[in-house]
Amino acid sequence: MAVRTAQFKRASSSAVVDPKLQTALGRVMGHFIEARSHALEEFTDDAWEGMRERAGALKAHTLEHLDYYLDLTDRSVRRNGGHVHFATDAAHARSIVLDIAQRTGAKRAIKSKSMVSEEMELNRHLEAAGVKPVETDLGEYIIQLAGETPFHIIAPAMHKSRQDVSDLFQQWLKTAPTDDIRRLCTIARDALREEFETADMGISGANFVVAETGTVVLVTNEGNGRMTTSAPRVHVAISGIEKVVPAIEDVALMLRLLPRSATGQRITSYNTFVSGPRAASDEDGPEEFHLILVDNGRLNILRDPEFREALKCIRCGACLNTCPVYRKVGGHAYGWVYSGPIGAVITPLLTGIKEGKDLPYASTLCGACRDVCPVKIDLPSLLLKLRRREVAGTNGERAATWMERLLVRRWAGAVKTRQAMERSARLGRFLQRPLSKQGRIRRLPLPVIGGWTRGRDFPALAERSFATIWREELSDGGDA
Amino acid sequence: MPDPSPTKEPFLQRVREALGRTEPLLYAPDYPPLKTATIRQEEKVRTIQAKAFARRDRLVERLKETASTAGWHVHHVHSPEDAADVLGDIAIGIGAKAVVRTAEDIFKAVNVDAVLRRARITSTILASGRSRPRSSLKRTAFGADLGVSGVAYAIAETASCAIVPRKGIARLTSLAPPVYAAVVLADQVLESLDDYFAVTRLAYQRGRGRSPNYANFISGPSRTADIEQTLTIGVHGPGIVHMVVVD
Repeated sequence: MAVRTAQFKRASSSAVVDPKLQTALGRVMGHFIEARSHALEEFTDDAWEGMRERAGALKAHTLEHLDYYLDLTDRSVRRNGGHVHFATDAAHARSIVLDIAQRTGAKRAIKSKSMVSEEMELNRHLEAAGVKPVETDLGEYIIQLAGETPFHIIAPAMHKSRQDVSDLFQQWLKTAPTDDIRRLCTIARDALREEFETADMGISGANFVVAETGTVVLVTNEGNGRMTTSAPRVHVAISGIEKVVPAIEDVALMLRLLPRSATGQRITSYNTFVSGPRAASDEDGPEEFHLILVDNGRLNILRDPEFREALKCIRCGACLNTCPVYRKVGGHAYGWVYSGPIGAVITPLLTGIKEGKDLPYASTLCGACRDVCPVKIDLPSLLLKLRRREVAGTNGERAATWMERLLVRRWAGAVKTRQAMERSARLGRFLQRPLSKQGRIRRLPLPVIGGWTRGRDFPALAERSFATIWREELSDGGDA
Repeated sequence: MPDPSPTKEPFLQRVREALGRTEPLLYAPDYPPLKTATIRQEEKVRTIQAKAFARRDRLVERLKETASTAGWHVHHVHSPEDAADVLGDIAIGIGAKAVVRTAEDIFKAVNVDAVLRRARITSTILASGRSRPRSSLKRTAFGADLGVSGVAYAIAETASCAIVPRKGIARLTSLAPPVYAAVVLADQVLESLDDYFAVTRLAYQRGRGRSPNYANFISGPSRTADIEQTLTIGVHGPGIVHMVVVD
């Protein structure tokens, strides 16, 4: 997928004034948060904390020994009769999928949700190669018809209203308009049934890959994941290398954390465990099974001990739902596959710090994302580290201008001690006089920090500071 | 067994370099679950089964509770004959014309075919045989109104029916028809996900490379909230699911 993260400022500015988008965000985000906290009620705080701790440690252990566990995965899947491919980047991964399609003569591919395939822009390339890709997750299907990218990692079409969906179905499937959501789901079901019956290739992602047993675990609600892995004669699973867990028993813990954090469910309607092709005696299922393990920038993160923990992510979306920035700007503003706090961290790391340089600033550093993360990724501190890196610049080229550096130095000097701060405040009170109206400054005519007042007012300094009032009127002069 | 990909070794070497190593690990990492000997795992599973046996009634009650919350229609019956009648009532209730079922042993006791025959409903075993080529299975499954199967296990914690497809158990039986009924025997109920995966692991350890390549949890009706976050039942899988628990 093309990287458009450099447009974050512009895209987010237009998102916050888009009334339709704000309605959609308001409707969905509250629902997610409520569902999650309801789902956590059955555990004590200590129990939940313990699970997060264990899951974080499990992922950290796997990453520290990732070469070993990838090798184990490869051997397990092949022992089960499946094929394993290792792809260095998006283009490599695409060529593997296209080779399989060509060799097996596949013309129609059904897909269940895969974020890595979004990284690869797989649909566009499949079409170009004469293979018709059909997304089968309802949300993904809607955005495929709309020609858009996922808005949210687990609710890809949450920005679409029922009218939007009805219009799309009318345009593409020639169905009568309706505002009945049940009816819309039935239309999609009927349209996709045909695809399920006739597709020759199924393409899925992977929520977890178990090294010991060579098992791809899918977590779904609609049943499209089961269709994708049951109906066609070839199944290709695409996974980032960080999705590996060591043992099948680890899945129990992960299945307690993921659905609760994502949709607030105790468990999703379906969990599918695929370890290879069907046995000769099986009644149905694919004759060929391929697992593609994709790097596409992940080794850059693994290499960097400061950022390695970002690879612990299990893509639940909880940090998006809780983030005050995501909740206002939505997923498309981030400009690439991943959005929200985790997107702001991994996008610059996967695609290059320069392209994604605005994303680490798409955060108030309030820490809510860290508190909900089921694998305890310290997202705010990763965002801070990225800001530091961006400012320090790469290859000797500094990103901060001399003016910014000067201002920050001056600011530090002005607030370092009480005396310096009071002195600066006195000076500020004098300088703000021509600008301040009713306690607010609407425009700061200064370089660099002038941008601050572009979207909001700056509160003017009070005529008398709290320290002065305290000293002169409130304090008894004792040890208050 | 397929050959390793020629790109595997260079890829793993880059992973090692990213981790600051140049050689493969000499020893397997210290990860206790991977180092459990089969004999220890057998012990563990025996304990799990003894526990489930001792608490059977409570586990069944717990399963019924979680299943109702998850959207299953739960039927608790005390004989195979009653189970067959319940299945017949389900088929009649939805006006089913065609029912598909698996070829599991449980249907020798739960004689659903006889009940359906009396109601003049076609019942087809979704399995290949001399008269039924594999290629026709898909069409039969997609055309059916009700799918019926047994389970390998049921998990009380999550109301999950674990289905392990193999000969006689087609994947599509529990997936393609709009209504699905699972027949669960009381002694198939396990307490937790941990218990289920401990059992799975033992099966894997005993038959490396020969254990089944596919399994599914069904934990409720097919559902989506992808349009306006409004919960809608029955997208690609069955929208109505029945759990028939037999003592």
